[in-house]
Amino acid sequence: MKNNTTKKTTTTQSHKLTKKDIRSANLRWIFTSALSWNYETMMAPGYVGSQMPILRKLYGDKPEDMKKMMRVQSEYFNTSPHMGSIIQGVDIALEEKEGIDSVDGVRGIKTGLMGPFAAVGDTLLGTVQSTIFGAIASYMALKGNPFGAILWMVALGVIYIWAYTWMPFAYKQGVNLVTSMSSKLNALTDSATLLGVTVVGALIPTVITLKIPFIFRAGKVSMKLQDIFNQIMPSLLPVLLVAFIYWLLDRKHMNSTRATWFVLILAIILFNLKVVA
Amino acid sequence: MNSLSVVQIILLSLFAFFQINEIITVGIGFGNPVNAGLIAGLIVGDMKLGLAVGATLQLMILGVGTFGGASIPDYATGAIIGTAIAHISGKGINYGIGVAIPVGLLMVQLDILARFANTYFAHRIDKAIDRNDDKAVVRNSLYGAIPWGLSRSVPVLLVLIFGEAFVKNVLNYMPQWLMGGLKSAGTMLPAVGIAILMHYLPIKKFGAYMIFGFVAAAYLNVPMLGVALVGVGFAINHYNSIIHDKNQSGSGSNGLDTEKAAEMGVDDKGVITGDEE
Repeated sequence: MKNNTTKKTTTTQSHKLTKKDIRSANLRWIFTSALSWNYETMMAPGYVGSQMPILRKLYGDKPEDMKKMMRVQSEYFNTSPHMGSIIQGVDIALEEKEGIDSVDGVRGIKTGLMGPFAAVGDTLLGTVQSTIFGAIASYMALKGNPFGAILWMVALGVIYIWAYTWMPFAYKQGVNLVTSMSSKLNALTDSATLLGVTVVGALIPTVITLKIPFIFRAGKVSMKLQDIFNQIMPSLLPVLLVAFIYWLLDRKHMNSTRATWFVLILAIILFNLKVVA
Repeated sequence: MNSLSVVQIILLSLFAFFQINEIITVGIGFGNPVNAGLIAGLIVGDMKLGLAVGATLQLMILGVGTFGGASIPDYATGAIIGTAIAHISGKGINYGIGVAIPVGLLMVQLDILARFANTYFAHRIDKAIDRNDDKAVVRNSLYGAIPWGLSRSVPVLLVLIFGEAFVKNVLNYMPQWLMGGLKSAGTMLPAVGIAILMHYLPIKKFGAYMIFGFVAAAYLNVPMLGVALVGVGFAINHYNSIIHDKNQSGSGSNGLDTEKAAEMGVDDKGVITGDEE
C-alpha cells in the first residue's frame, strides 16, 4: 500500500482550485465583464480582473509567473459576455492542469474560441432573444401593458441564472467541451434564428401603423385609397415601406443612421403633403 | 405642462448611469429601450407614456446589439429623455418619440467617447502588471463603469435641469408642420428597425417562415406570443431534423450576416461609420 499523501504533486502544478475559486471568478465575470471595455483591448480588463482569484491561487507564490500570466490575460479579448464564461472555464481547467506552461494553450483557447462563441452568443443571446421577447414586449407595451417588458426581464433572468452554471461545467469538461458541443450549438443557433425570422414576419403588420387618408374624387364618386390597399392585402403599406427601406439600406453610402434620418424627414414631408396621417 | 421634482431628476440620472452598466454585464435588459421607457415612465408617474415611447424605440433597434463593440443608437437614454420631455410638455407619446430619436442617434458620439476613455484604464492595467500589483489590476477593471455611466447620466441630468424651461419655450413656437410630422414619423420609423433586422437575419434561407409569421398576424390576427409559439414549433422540428441528419453540414453557418452588417456601415472595429461630421 502506497501512502496517499504522495498522490499528485507534480512539478508544474502544486495548487488545487476549490469550488469557491471558480464561483468567485464566475461572479466577477458576470458582473464586470465589459465594464472597462475599450477600443484597444476590448474585454481584456474584465477578463484579467475576473480571472484574478484563479491567478492568485495558482501563481501567488511565484511573482514572475504571476506577472507573465497577468500579461497574457490582459491581452486583447472580445466575445459575447455570457459565452465568455465558457471560455474562461476551459482556460481555468487548462491552467490548473499545466500551470505556467499553459501560456500558449491559454492564448490559443482564448483567441480561437472568442470569435465562434461571439457569433453564437450574438445570434442567440443578442439578435434572436431580443427579436422574440422585444417583439412581444413592444407589442404589449404599445397597448399600455407592461407585462411583456417584465416577462422579457424575467425570462432573461432565468436564462442568465442558468448561465451561471456554464463556467463550472466548462471547467469540469475542460478542452473536450469544445468539440462535443459545437454541432448541437450550431443546430440550436440555426433553429432559434428560424424562430426569429417567423416573429419578424408577424411584426410588420402589427407594429407599423402607417395609414393613408388620401381620398380619390371623380365627380360624385369618392374612394378612400386606404380601402383599395386593404382589398389587395392587409398591411400592404407596411410591407411596401419595409421592402423600400430594406432596399435602401443596400444602396451605396447608406447606413442605418442615415436611413433613420431619411425616414424621419420623409415622414415630415409626407405629412405636410397630407399623404400620410 | 408638468414639471419634475429634484428627486425625479436624480432618479432618472441614476437610472441612466445604472442601465448602461447593466446592459454590458449581467444584461437582463434594464437598458433595453422598452424597459428603460417603462422605468422612466414609473419615475415620472406616467407608465403608459414611458412604455409607448420605449416600445417604439425598441422596435427601431430590435435584435440589434453592440456586437463586437459596435456603437448603436442609444435609444435607452433616448427613451429616458423622451419620456421625461413628453411628460413635462404634456404633448404625448409621439412628441416623446420625436425627441427621443435624435437624442438616441446623437448619443452614439458619447458612447464612442466612453469606450475611448476606457483605454486609459487598459493602460493603467498594463502599468499595474509591470509592478505586479494585482489589486490595482482588479480596481482598473472596474473603473470603466464610470465613463460608461457618466456618458449616459450627464446628458440626462443636463437636459432635465436646463431642458425644462427650454422645452416650454420651444413648445410655444413649435409649428404644427413639425409636430404633425413627428407624429407620422412615429408610425413609419418601426419599419426602419425591422428592415435593419432583416439584414442581420438570414431571410433568404428562412423566407418561408417570414411569410408564415406575416399571414398569422395580418390575416389571422394571431397575437405576437401566439406567433412566437408557432415559431417555436417550427424551430423544434428544424433542430431535430439537423441533429438527426448528420450529413447536413450546411448548419454550420451562424445566424448573423456580418458581411451585410459591414456593408450597412458597421466596420470591422464595430463602429458605425458615416455621419461623423
